[in-house]
Amino acid sequence: MITLPKSSTEADVLTHLSVEKTALEVKNLDLYYGDKQALFDVSMKIPKGKVTAFIGPSGCGKSTLLRCINRMNDLVDICRVDGKIELQGTNIYDKSVDVAALRRRVGMVFQRPNPFPKSIYENVVYGLRLQGIKDRRTLDEAAEKSLRSAALWKEVKDRLHDNAFGLSGGQQQRLVIARAIAIGPEVLLLDEPTSALDPISTLTIEELITELKEQFTVVIVTHNMQQAARVSDQTAFMYMGKLIEYSDTNTLFTAPKEKQTEDYITGRYG
Amino acid sequence: MNKWFKSGTPWIWMTGGAVSLSLIMVIGLFLLIGWRGLSFFWPATVYEFDMLDRQGNHMNVIGEIYDSETVLKQQLIEAGITGLEDKGDTLERYLIKVGNREYVDLDFQWILETIIVEKHIPDNIVVLERTKNGNFYGYIKAFQENGVDIKIPASALEAEFSTRLAITKALKDKETDLLKGDIGRINYDLDRIRLKQRKLDLDGQLTEEKIASFKAQSETLQNEYLVLEKQLFEYRTQALRDAVVITDMTGRDVVMPIAKILDFYLPNKMTFLEKVQHWFHQTAKFVSDDPREANTEGGVFPAIFGTVFMVMLMAVIVTPFGVIAAIYLHEYAPKNNITKFIRIAVINLAGVPSIVYGVFGLGFFVYIVGGSIDQLLYPEALPSPTFGSPGVLWSALTLAILTLPVVIVSTEEGLSRIPSSLREGSLALGATKSETLWRIIVPMASPAIMTGLILAVARAAGEVAPLMLVGVVKMAPTLPVDGNFPYLHLERKFMHLGFHIYDVGFQSPNVEAARPLVYATSFLLVTVIIGLNLAAIGIRNNLREKYRSLEH
Repeated sequence: MITLPKSSTEADVLTHLSVEKTALEVKNLDLYYGDKQALFDVSMKIPKGKVTAFIGPSGCGKSTLLRCINRMNDLVDICRVDGKIELQGTNIYDKSVDVAALRRRVGMVFQRPNPFPKSIYENVVYGLRLQGIKDRRTLDEAAEKSLRSAALWKEVKDRLHDNAFGLSGGQQQRLVIARAIAIGPEVLLLDEPTSALDPISTLTIEELITELKEQFTVVIVTHNMQQAARVSDQTAFMYMGKLIEYSDTNTLFTAPKEKQTEDYITGRYG
Repeated sequence: MNKWFKSGTPWIWMTGGAVSLSLIMVIGLFLLIGWRGLSFFWPATVYEFDMLDRQGNHMNVIGEIYDSETVLKQQLIEAGITGLEDKGDTLERYLIKVGNREYVDLDFQWILETIIVEKHIPDNIVVLERTKNGNFYGYIKAFQENGVDIKIPASALEAEFSTRLAITKALKDKETDLLKGDIGRINYDLDRIRLKQRKLDLDGQLTEEKIASFKAQSETLQNEYLVLEKQLFEYRTQALRDAVVITDMTGRDVVMPIAKILDFYLPNKMTFLEKVQHWFHQTAKFVSDDPREANTEGGVFPAIFGTVFMVMLMAVIVTPFGVIAAIYLHEYAPKNNITKFIRIAVINLAGVPSIVYGVFGLGFFVYIVGGSIDQLLYPEALPSPTFGSPGVLWSALTLAILTLPVVIVSTEEGLSRIPSSLREGSLALGATKSETLWRIIVPMASPAIMTGLILAVARAAGEVAPLMLVGVVKMAPTLPVDGNFPYLHLERKFMHLGFHIYDVGFQSPNVEAARPLVYATSFLLVTVIIGLNLAAIGIRNNLREKYRSLEH
């Protein structure tokens, strides 16, 4: 199966992305859960400082691919990966890679807000404390900076030491984003970050994503095609574990090359 | 009717009924032992009976009505009792607590209502609580100082008794302080010097110089002791100065040294408020005093202390082991048949009879571990064992093994209840597995760990059988905690409320006298367990509140 349309100029831009502009490169990635193959020969380049969206029907492997990028799939005992994912030229599946260090470089936000049962402040500085930072001032500054970046500072600055569970769902999700960016990752993975939220919180998060790409490379998985169209610069459509089409968001939504993509975005299945 | 069955209502009634029945039984039991135990401290009315014995002679008896029962006349006639022909079919029989144990044959006597001629309640009957031989009932007559009578007007007898008792008590307190305090310390130090010398001797490092130094130290202590001993004897003689003359029920005057009297009261003269006050006083004494008279009198403080101390020591030991084992089983052990087998084995450990743990504790902890410790660390004390004999540490360890499965199982349950999203959230921030465990998972599982601990404490506090083999004794001369270095004496034997109940109830020479104490001690044991549990539940609820994320 040909995964990338060769003739498209936009696709050419993504295929021939220079090394400096590439944040991540996936090379011939296969993934198996036991005997069942979940990803088939996925190859793609994810550009730096942009928002890349993965779309596709449920079970198409988009979340699985995302979780490969910070090796969250390692937690599944029966999961096996072939192929490479290069972050700044190093294969993250290399034996010498320290997984904890990798995850500090590639942050992740999950579907449902998952704040820790600690105060708002302790949630944000959790990653820094793990790195052994104890200096009060450094922590305070980092907390404020990340909360500002996550557009949450104004709402919580007076109750930093309250339990994080007192926040609303949308606030909790922004808190989780703040927690992820506090440790200064290069790439931020968002796994359907708004699927558990109401429309207004969704809007806030989407605005936040657009702002975040100034500092980070963002990869987002979403069920919501409008959301992909709104926030992303390029979009990958996946189906049955295969990458069907990957190009500039505008092109993918207005002039999809593949029949399957067209069927999906016009709502014929999925 | 059929519809009613199908609706499931009968099942609801059945289950609800079973729950209420169980609750009623538990509460009923608690109330019964509470009532029987606590009413013992209420000052009972003391009667004076005028009775006729079989020969028709008048007989005077003073005592409390302790119990009564209804018997069939037929039964009594068959037993050879005559003169009942004109009485009804059933007769009342009273158990009278007569006291005055050294002057009467039986201090508890059954008397039939028919032989009672008259029963009255004299106001000035006095009850004496004594250090030996139980209560004494009688009338105060006079006082003696150094064997010489002192004339006191009848109206001032009680006041005089109070003052003299207070003086004597103060002297006796001083004596006990001296014995348990300074003299106890000197004895302890002397023993340590002896052991030090013996140790050096065994190591072959005993020089003349050191012998001399030890000798000098012992002599200093000996001299100190002689001074204190003189003081002690002084107190004793002073305390023996006063005596009270009491007329007992037979009209005999008994001279009793006040030093042998702990307390006196006139129950028939007391107002209700005074009785309440007396009840609180007696209850407090029961909780805070040492036992006397082969545990049938006095308090149970050492048993309370021993129970609580041993249970807390057990909790301190079992928690880390249980939690670490559960974490290994749940987080690190490969999910295969061996792990499954280990888990089943752990759960089954909870079903092993506790006496088996006792035997194991005696064989392994006391003889092997304790024996080895003695050989290695306390060779100077041999052949008398230090850790090689039953003690509170070994009891706590044995019970820790006994309750380990409970802690493991509930910790594992707690660990599996934590949403995986939190684990992933922590890992995604660059935490290693162990960092995630210690910072997120274990704190969140702490309410479940506390639940395990609550169950463990409840089981351990009520367990007696294994303790009889590994550390509990009828009467421990010293508590496991005292003022002598190193303050905690984990090798010492201890007293336990559960064993105390067994001992007082079934091993005591005076069953009647001991019975209310059995109830009171049982009530106390239940109260102690409830108290320990409430404390643990309080901590758990606090933790739950803190980590209440689990609810969503």
